[in-house]
Amino acid sequence: MATTVPQINVGDDYKEKYGFFDPEKFVFKAKRGLNEEIVREISFMKGEPEWMTKMRLRSLDIFRKKPMPEWGADLSVIDFENIFYFLKSTEEQGKSWDDVPDDIKRTFDRLGVPEAERKFLAGVSAQYESEVVYHSLHKELEQKGVIFLDTDTALKEHPEIFKEYFGTVIPPADNKFSALNTAVWSGGSFIYVPKGVRVDIPLQAYFRINAENMGQFERTLIICDEDSFVHYIEGCTAPIYTTDSLHSAVVEIIVKKGARCRYTTIQNWSTNVFNLVTKRAVAYQDATMEWVDGNLGSQITMKYPSVYLMEPGAKGDVLSIAFAGKGQHQDAGGKMVHVAPHTTSTITSKSISKAGGRTSYRGLVKVHKGAHDVKSFVKCDALLLDDDSISDTYPYIECDENQVNIGHEATVSKVSDEQLFYLMSRGIPLVEAETMIVNGFIEPFTKELPLEYAVELNRLIQLEMEGSVG
Amino acid sequence: MSFSLKAVEELASLHGEPEWVRVRRRASWAAYERLPMPSRSEEEWRRTNLKGLDLAVFEAWEPANGGAPADSIEDAAAVLRQRGSEPGQVDVGPELSAKGVLFMPLSQAAREHSELVEQHLFKGVDPERDKLSALHGALFSGGTFLYVPNGVSVEKPFVSQFWSSGGGAAVLPHTLIVAGDGSQFNYIDEFLSPTLETPSLTSGSVEVFAGRGANVGYVSLQRWGNHAWQFADQKVIAEQESTVRVVNVGLGGRFAKTRVEAVLHGPGASAELKGLFFGSGGQFFDYHTLQSHVVGDTTSDLLFKGALRDTARSVYAGLIRIEKGARRSDAYQANRNLLLSKSANAYSIPMLEIMNNDVRCTHGATIAPVDPEHVFYLESRGIPRASAERMIVHGFFGQVLDRIPVGQARELVESELEARLG
Repeated sequence: MATTVPQINVGDDYKEKYGFFDPEKFVFKAKRGLNEEIVREISFMKGEPEWMTKMRLRSLDIFRKKPMPEWGADLSVIDFENIFYFLKSTEEQGKSWDDVPDDIKRTFDRLGVPEAERKFLAGVSAQYESEVVYHSLHKELEQKGVIFLDTDTALKEHPEIFKEYFGTVIPPADNKFSALNTAVWSGGSFIYVPKGVRVDIPLQAYFRINAENMGQFERTLIICDEDSFVHYIEGCTAPIYTTDSLHSAVVEIIVKKGARCRYTTIQNWSTNVFNLVTKRAVAYQDATMEWVDGNLGSQITMKYPSVYLMEPGAKGDVLSIAFAGKGQHQDAGGKMVHVAPHTTSTITSKSISKAGGRTSYRGLVKVHKGAHDVKSFVKCDALLLDDDSISDTYPYIECDENQVNIGHEATVSKVSDEQLFYLMSRGIPLVEAETMIVNGFIEPFTKELPLEYAVELNRLIQLEMEGSVG
Repeated sequence: MSFSLKAVEELASLHGEPEWVRVRRRASWAAYERLPMPSRSEEEWRRTNLKGLDLAVFEAWEPANGGAPADSIEDAAAVLRQRGSEPGQVDVGPELSAKGVLFMPLSQAAREHSELVEQHLFKGVDPERDKLSALHGALFSGGTFLYVPNGVSVEKPFVSQFWSSGGGAAVLPHTLIVAGDGSQFNYIDEFLSPTLETPSLTSGSVEVFAGRGANVGYVSLQRWGNHAWQFADQKVIAEQESTVRVVNVGLGGRFAKTRVEAVLHGPGASAELKGLFFGSGGQFFDYHTLQSHVVGDTTSDLLFKGALRDTARSVYAGLIRIEKGARRSDAYQANRNLLLSKSANAYSIPMLEIMNNDVRCTHGATIAPVDPEHVFYLESRGIPRASAERMIVHGFFGQVLDRIPVGQARELVESELEARLG
């Protein structure tokens, strides 16, 4: 039997698989670069209230003053002056699927959006460039009082709720990129789930970047009122381009007493995108916040979904996988901040590096003074598929209270020879055996995904494994 | 005399050091003057509070002063005794001398075995890493040099005892250990002082060079008084097939920051880094560890255990770094913290950087109070709560205590812990 070294290839042959793109067609395209004028223009084009214009300008100021982070991936190559900060791709928002322009539909067809909708999804809010062009909400949900809109529309239609929560979880001054996002944000999802309402079917939105040098700065705000439940799914794919694109989103979630929110992301940007995202949730009494976070694409991702556990009984969960191929650096992880006593959290991280890719787990468990009877467990597993790849683990545990139980465990390994031998001795070819092992490795993640996503992810891994053996 | 270039020159004269050592000291002094005080914006110092440390108040050295410590390890190959900052005294028997073993104050070695010392001094520890390392490099006072030639085994441990009894001064001993190929021995550094009113500044930096196939045990018993600010850099360079076992016992100091670093430099090298610390009152312990696998087929095993009482605090940050090409490396790292009071707190940051896939690498960290089930078990057998807790702490440290290679030293630590647990 030939002893070939199997390799997994996620993102390598992106161009053939996902690298389609449509000719650009815009109603309005802001000039490259970033200044006060551009920010005012964006706000004006959107017809925003004055407080938002002011907040944008204030954030721009903060962005300029904040230094670039010096830790994690190298961000010095980002040229903020060479990016379009706003595009509006069609004038009117599509009211039904039929109204959506054909070329945009084609893009979605390739991504399988309508199919997903046909099957079981309640609302589809697909972001094409910076503004949401198509949006539908299941009647049933509407009757229950659930608001599921793109963020721009939400600002117009629900200004009171918007103003009450916007920027409260992640203030502009939180970090350089949250300031940038607040200055130039556009699009994203807004969800409000009223008291006691359970949304049984996942809400889903697709985000895409299409234009070269186009920064995408979507802003998502989710409010789960008391005893409600929602599962929101965000998936990304982007066509391939030659120059670097910047994606810097901000996601704020408020989970009130007894509510539960799950936020699932599968990030599959093309491998020239810088993905620098701030995601944070606050969980109140007996509330549960779950981040299910998959990072497959992008050149550099820096993303640490966090949960602030504000009141007793709150629970936080981060389940994350990262896959780094050639030239990729996935710097991902999670943060749990225990502010109140009797709170619990878990972080499970699985990472796979191959062909010189680098995955880093960076996480924080912080227990504030007075937050007694806290339990937290962090588990990180890393799989290195070849000799050129790199894996890092940086778990920070900061504990200011003694009635706590905090644990961290991590392992780094290669695909075990014994497992391979076992499978191959049963007649399973090497590639298939490796695929099985990798799929088994990320199984805790895939089993948390809705079926169609789990299938997609498994198929993706399988495809990459098959195509990669020479 | 406070810290100054003049103090550096005068100290070198007092110790009768050769010119090259002076040059070395001057270079560090220049670095000390150039470097800023570590600030909390630097990652390594982010959780470490230097508030209250005023370098201007310290005398550059402490004159020898009486008062031998109560206990010391008697059953030793040789004991070097240093008082204050002055070179110590040691009596090496004819047997060891005949074998070619050199065990003497560092300053004497710099004069008498200049070449050997120059080859190694500050080749492991970086004297310009930060301002406090540079201060040690400029004003290290006294210390030990131990050289065990190729193939020589010494059964009983070498002991250096550093005693300080005056407050307000810098006592900065430096230990340099050169283990020849195939040599075998244990060495103990004991740092001692009573608790005084005036703060003092101490170090206790160590360099261990383990030659091919050497088997070296190094123990640091840190029992400075609770008035001391301690900054120490420990570095082990392990060559092919060598085994180095390092045990750090941290009990003293109001503030004790120690870097423990092992570089696995030759295939087959193995390092065991163990540590225990017990903090009470307002003590603060900071350990930064590094297991650097430069080449493959190397092993490292780290375990640091800390128990904290009252308002004591600790920071543990450790890194396993496996370089590209260091295949078949096997590394383990664990940090366990036991919090005995509500106001004690512990930060733990166990980190990994792995550059190739043919490795075995695991780590873990925990922070927890005494398990109420354990207390309940013992109480249900009629053991009062206080003793039950003491037994649990003792059991908790057992794993590290067992790794102290010298029986006497182990007993000493056990009784010291007993006394501190009260």
